[in-house]
Amino acid sequence: MASPRIVQQGIKQVKPLMSVDRTEARRRVLNLYKAWYRQIPYVVKDFYLPITVEMGRNKVRELFLKNKYVTDIRAIDMLVIKGQMDLVETANIWKQRNHVMMFFQDTVNPKPKDFLSKFYEGQD
Amino acid sequence: MASKLFSSVRLLSRSNYGLPYFSRTMSSITAATGSTGVDEKKDDHKGITISVPDKVDISSITGVPEEHVKTRTVRIFVPAVNSMQSGTFNSRRWRMEFDERERWENPLMGWTSTGDPLSNTEVNFASKEDAIDFCEKNGWDWFVEEQQKPKMRIKSYGANFAWDRRTRVSTK
Repeated sequence: MASPRIVQQGIKQVKPLMSVDRTEARRRVLNLYKAWYRQIPYVVKDFYLPITVEMGRNKVRELFLKNKYVTDIRAIDMLVIKGQMDLVETANIWKQRNHVMMFFQDTVNPKPKDFLSKFYEGQD
Repeated sequence: MASKLFSSVRLLSRSNYGLPYFSRTMSSITAATGSTGVDEKKDDHKGITISVPDKVDISSITGVPEEHVKTRTVRIFVPAVNSMQSGTFNSRRWRMEFDERERWENPLMGWTSTGDPLSNTEVNFASKEDAIDFCEKNGWDWFVEEQQKPKMRIKSYGANFAWDRRTRVSTK
């Protein structure tokens, strides 16, 4: 039934999104990280977030490290663009408090794992 | 675009915050990604191409929740022909669909409900390879159900009158 995966890895030429090499992409990522890092105290103040600056910075770090396995330069650039947009939206207070707190997913119930919790939940 | 428009905007007054940074201009935030803004390319980048791997995993960019990238399996198959019709047009395409998640019956109206955003998704492709590429690109696990081609038996009227008449085979 399952057919074997064909692993072919070729190289192709494409137009760059922003960066032309890994160094430049890396520089953009670091710049964005620094900007977020410096913005966190204001974010906590502006939105009256129930978190400490430390927690906010840890979250930023966590979200950046989530994508550390992305190697494609264009993908990195696109992630930087999205992160930048998020930062601008946060700094301008176009977001609301809950939008910022959504990064923390405090209100999301964890999925039931064992048999009995699944049974109580009535799902799966 | 955004970074251009708001380059001159100053953020709210920070002076009474007691924070180490008294004011951060919007430009210091919008220029975070380097000396060039996010949305502008350097002029000398214009004719340049870069080499990237042939296969790209875009699952980190798409915004699809991680739950629906890592836990989903895609079935790639040729849809069955309609058993009540003789047409075979259905079987000229390859289709992908996701594994089935829980469905339940709405207690009031009896409608079928599901919590799965990818349920009932079917995407058609011209070839199997296209479908596989699409799944790989999006980071989904996939498997292919190979196409079953019906074997056509050769029949001829004249064979009914052949001297050895092998066409009439007992069904018992």
